[in-house]
Amino acid sequence: MLTYLLRRVLLMLPTLLGITVVVFTVMAMSPGGISAQSLIGGMDMKPQEKQALLDYYNKRYGLDQPAPMQYLRWLNNVSPVGFINNERGEREFSFTKGMDLGTSFQYGRPVADILAERIPITLLLNVLTIPVTYLIAILVGVYSAKHRGGSFDVASGIAMLALWSIPTMLAGVLLLGFFANVQYFNWFPTAGISSREALDMPFLPHWNEQGFVRGFLLDRLWHLVLPVLCLSYGSFAALAKLTRTAVLENLSADYARTARAKGVAENDVLWRHVFRNSLLPLITVSAGLLPGLLAGSLIVENIFSINGMGQLAVEAVKGRDRELVLSITWVSGFLTLVGYLIADFCYTLADPRVTYD
Amino acid sequence: MTKRFSYSALVWRRTLAGVGVTLSLAWLALLIFAAVFAPFLANSMPLLMLSQGELSAPVLSYLSVEDVVLLGAALLAGVLVMIKRPMAQRFWLWLAGCVMIVIVANVLVKPPALVIYDDFRSPPFSTAEWRLMPPIPYAPTDYLRDLNSKGLDAPFASQGHWHVMGTEENGADVLSRMIHACRISLSIGLIASGIALVIGVIIGGLMGYFSGVIDMLGMRLLEIFEDIPTLFLLLTFVAFFGRSLYMMMVIIGVTGWTGYARFVRSEFLKLRKQDYVQAAIAAGLPLPSILFRHMLPNGIAPLLVAVSFGVAGAILAEATLSFLGLGVVDAPSWGQMLDQAVKSSRFNWWMAVFPGGAIFFTVFAYNLIGEAFRDAIDPKLANDSEA
Repeated sequence: MLTYLLRRVLLMLPTLLGITVVVFTVMAMSPGGISAQSLIGGMDMKPQEKQALLDYYNKRYGLDQPAPMQYLRWLNNVSPVGFINNERGEREFSFTKGMDLGTSFQYGRPVADILAERIPITLLLNVLTIPVTYLIAILVGVYSAKHRGGSFDVASGIAMLALWSIPTMLAGVLLLGFFANVQYFNWFPTAGISSREALDMPFLPHWNEQGFVRGFLLDRLWHLVLPVLCLSYGSFAALAKLTRTAVLENLSADYARTARAKGVAENDVLWRHVFRNSLLPLITVSAGLLPGLLAGSLIVENIFSINGMGQLAVEAVKGRDRELVLSITWVSGFLTLVGYLIADFCYTLADPRVTYD
Repeated sequence: MTKRFSYSALVWRRTLAGVGVTLSLAWLALLIFAAVFAPFLANSMPLLMLSQGELSAPVLSYLSVEDVVLLGAALLAGVLVMIKRPMAQRFWLWLAGCVMIVIVANVLVKPPALVIYDDFRSPPFSTAEWRLMPPIPYAPTDYLRDLNSKGLDAPFASQGHWHVMGTEENGADVLSRMIHACRISLSIGLIASGIALVIGVIIGGLMGYFSGVIDMLGMRLLEIFEDIPTLFLLLTFVAFFGRSLYMMMVIIGVTGWTGYARFVRSEFLKLRKQDYVQAAIAAGLPLPSILFRHMLPNGIAPLLVAVSFGVAGAILAEATLSFLGLGVVDAPSWGQMLDQAVKSSRFNWWMAVFPGGAIFFTVFAYNLIGEAFRDAIDPKLANDSEA
């Protein structure tokens, strides 16, 4: 198991490298590319100041060097092992230099700090979304497979395809417009993931002299209802269809008939035998779910003004912030790959026949 | 005796059996109609006008190059449908004709650079003896300054003029913008997925045919493109390369080919050891001929399913980019209109519901067609229904 894990992690490296090469090439090939000139182009400054800033950027980030050199320099900074300049000014190879993601052009802050703030928010959204998605998908899928051809099956089949086709931005805009708006139903907050006063509240909801205090936890949940809803409906629609197909296939399998023949209750046949076997395609899809959710959170975060990775990504590419764009890309690529890895391990949990030795 | 059908006719018949598919095709036909005839459906200038005994068609002199190309392509398609020729031949004829039309239109069509819509509501246009206006008498970029439009009117709420879907914040008619925006969505959907298909088929075909080292390298490339969340990649591309319509098509195509490549690869891996392929190799046919004339037609049906879903994806991608403010700037698009609905200070439902609904129905239509088509070519399901 350990060797397998190690091999998988090592195989990630070329992919991650490839991802950064692709993104860097895109940036370098674009008209104007990444140059100090394009970064300060829009600013209103005196010529000397402009020149000074230009020189600063060039010196700091090596922007006047040829693109392959820039990439290698960035790679050297980011990789945990690489060349550093020692005290005597010589270049030497170090195994302990640590990762340096660089400084964002736009914010003037270390990229690592910015990411450390933003990633937990996006992960929180996604981690909440996945169980919601699976719960609904499995309930709907199993029920409609059990009553194949019934009115619920037909209706849910069409409804799921329709839900799947609703663009996230339409759902987001409508939810925000109708349920978080003084003009209609002002039930949910419009933006962010907590209100300002909630930061001073105790964690759990409770009663005190002023009445009910919703606490930090409930406030956070209240803010997340609409975004999570918006993020989950598309995936549960797709998953419900998949669950239905898988369960249907297994319900008519030989082993299910055998189980029925020896007198196992129908519910046990369904949940203990058929359902476990239907889990495999669901797990396969779960690997692809994470990139989809990351992309979805990009839209959702923009609609609901949540300061997560998605919003950061849009800001970064709009501001042509090379360091930030590269880091966001490889981090999201990394998360995707980790998602695949987790899915592969879930196989061993769901199906004892699968081993990785 | 039962009537015998060819395979493609059988698949067509099965695909069309559902109500959903018929409705979807009807919706797409409506969109194509709106896209082709947009300047005649929603425009500020009269279609025909009789002024001082002289009959003129102002709309014709203001047609842009795109208008003419679209009209020409549609006309050519109409003519080719009538001709009895093999499908593929007609398609190539149409493609060649379109290229000709693009060239001719770019040389010959010279619309006036400046259009002042207010003029069409002042003499001599308003004093014409007789004139025929388009059904929606507002151009998409006509902000109705002379009509004292303050913008953001709900449907039917405007004073003195008639807006079926209300007006946006600058005062332009939403329905008119919707009609003109059909073009962007449809053309991006078709052309972007066409580009993705060509790249995917070539790369996937080579991977499947040669297998071995080429396959392994190709798979790594594929994984790299798949592991970057598509939207991130799209965003990066769009932000760093301009945002013209044509650039967007190329970009969405370049980022969307992985699915097709995977598909074609697995299909070709199965086919490469088949006798007819071996025979083609033994006969010394050139590689493109083996790949595209002999192998590809045998794997094309499942590919068409992927294309249908791919078009839906491309339309969605364009709408998302426009929604994030990274879309085409100078022309209205559904995603951009949806973005306007969020950007304004109040929530104006007509600005969200209509363009958003149009995106939804289009994506839904393509998904339904793809689904029906997949069921139609699935032999497992076919046996149930035919028996």
